[in-house]
Amino acid sequence: MGWRLTKFNLVSLIFGFTFLYLPITLLVVYSFNESRLVTVWAGFSTVWYRELWHNRGLIDAAWVTLRLALISASVATVLGTMAAIALSRYTRFRGRTLMTGMIYAPLVMPEVITGLSLLLFFVAINLDRGFLTVTLAHISTSMCFVAVVVQSRLRSLDRSLEDAAMDLGATPTATLFHVTLPLIWPAVIAGWMLAFTLSLDDLVIASFTTGPGSTTLPMKIYSQVRLGVTPEINAVCTILIAIVSVGVVAATLINRRRMVRQARDERLAAEG
Amino acid sequence: MKSLGSIRRDFAPWLDQAATPFIRFEGVTKRFGNFDAVDDLSLSIFEGEFFALLGASGCGKSTLLRMLAGFEAPTEGRIVLDGEDLAGIPPYRRPVNMMFQSYALFPHMSVEKNIAFGLKQEGMARGEIAERVDQVLKLVKLETYARRRPDQLSGGQRQRVALARSLAKRPKVLLLDEPLGALDKKLREETQFELSDLQYQLKTTFIMVTHDQEEAMTMADRIAVMDKGRIVQVATPAEVYEAPNSRFVADFVGNVNIFEGVVRSVEGERVTIETTAGFDVVATSEVPVAAGQSVSYVLRPEKLRIAAEPVPGPNVVEGEVWDIAYFGPVTSFHIRLNNGAIVKVAMVNATRQGPLQLTWHDRAYVQFDEDAGLVLAE
Repeated sequence: MGWRLTKFNLVSLIFGFTFLYLPITLLVVYSFNESRLVTVWAGFSTVWYRELWHNRGLIDAAWVTLRLALISASVATVLGTMAAIALSRYTRFRGRTLMTGMIYAPLVMPEVITGLSLLLFFVAINLDRGFLTVTLAHISTSMCFVAVVVQSRLRSLDRSLEDAAMDLGATPTATLFHVTLPLIWPAVIAGWMLAFTLSLDDLVIASFTTGPGSTTLPMKIYSQVRLGVTPEINAVCTILIAIVSVGVVAATLINRRRMVRQARDERLAAEG
Repeated sequence: MKSLGSIRRDFAPWLDQAATPFIRFEGVTKRFGNFDAVDDLSLSIFEGEFFALLGASGCGKSTLLRMLAGFEAPTEGRIVLDGEDLAGIPPYRRPVNMMFQSYALFPHMSVEKNIAFGLKQEGMARGEIAERVDQVLKLVKLETYARRRPDQLSGGQRQRVALARSLAKRPKVLLLDEPLGALDKKLREETQFELSDLQYQLKTTFIMVTHDQEEAMTMADRIAVMDKGRIVQVATPAEVYEAPNSRFVADFVGNVNIFEGVVRSVEGERVTIETTAGFDVVATSEVPVAAGQSVSYVLRPEKLRIAAEPVPGPNVVEGEVWDIAYFGPVTSFHIRLNNGAIVKVAMVNATRQGPLQLTWHDRAYVQFDEDAGLVLAE
């Protein structure tokens, strides 16, 4: 039975994609609106992008968010990768099952609870809320995601590769750096990107754990929207969408190129 | 021991009482939870030997190999290599190298980098590494593939890279885990001979793990047949085949007819056995048996002859041709006796026409010599 594009399928497709992309398209279109009123079209203009450049508050928030995302993603990647390796490679220690379960728990924990518990913790240890506390909070939540991504890669990695490295005289440390890490590198990068985007768009946990002077971009946007949406917000969101799109397209292209190369290699191997 | 299987072996250090074993397993036990993967096993392997551990999966052969490589530690007992107790020595400090079943080639490195990996860990000088890599690549005839990555190689080439990599460090012992398991039949046969030649040329001690009896028989000097964590028999391939020490070995290695019975009379070496298959066997027994004793009579199918007409003499069995399988070099007949027992006969097709014409449900007469089979007293 062939699956053809029937009328029903066509309608489903149009509805689905409209539902997904119409709001975003509207947001992008209105970022180029001349008018201050978000809902009235008054002609094409890039005035709000210029305005945006002079809006210190938004620029500062964007800068904080970027630094926060870079630092927390990097630290979370290191810690998450270490946890993943420990949990999937050193299998014979007491409490491993419990700890594997505990790595997954934060993934399903409501952010409100995570945020609140971190807030209470920071208050309890008397740590002033600011850039440091929100960074720590983001590290602790995103490292679980990194650990899960890396762990799934490690699970599919042939254990005998590491055995072979040791058999050939590599110490466990040398094995880690020369064999394990180079082979799980794509998963580590994927984990980093996941952590980066999680940090970039987090509103709830940041609201609980940040302090004055360290307002993140999502927080800033949210608070400004409450005072009324200005086309500046549309502009900033459009820029964010552009960045994310470029990232996704780049990742797809790189992946495509790798698949093409792999196909070529396989052909070469078949020819001997 | 008489010569078996038309082979005279000049290299047989295991027969020399004065020879010192190169590798000794002394009462080695490996327990995983309550399961004894290896059970109080002792074994001596000599320098320069090509040794095979043969058994079904789960018999403990791989565990034994991994203990020698250092990936597992024995629960009890010790392993001595070249006079040195290996206890507590991690895998990366042992003078043994392993060729893995999956080959375990590093996919992110070229062929030459894969081979150089172990030498680099040793801290060998760059020039010397390059020289050694060239040397082993030449040994496995892959000189022109040095810059390829593993996924640009065919299965047979990968196998040879894995072999080259494990030989590059010139280990005292090379461990091979199912070395030909991933190759197709034709390539496997070629590689068997290559591997044997290579071992003969290098004089390195090889220990191979395999579940494939043909692989073990064609390559090894000696075979240890394993079952449930224990060694059942250690012997040359011809001895394992022609003189198995138990029903297990007889049945595991090759095709076999096993007839159970009771000894009716003994005259010197000549015994008469009344089998449960409904006929009497007159045989020469290499082990002493007494009248009334229960024994098994083990008879390889190719030691039997088949005829279309009745033949005189003892050791003739009449039956019906039940099944015929033509393999090319041999034709295999299943002869069904009057009481339902099946006798397997393999006839070598020495001529293109074959000596006789038989078809399904013909009457057939099976005959064998007094020394064709083996009496096992168990």
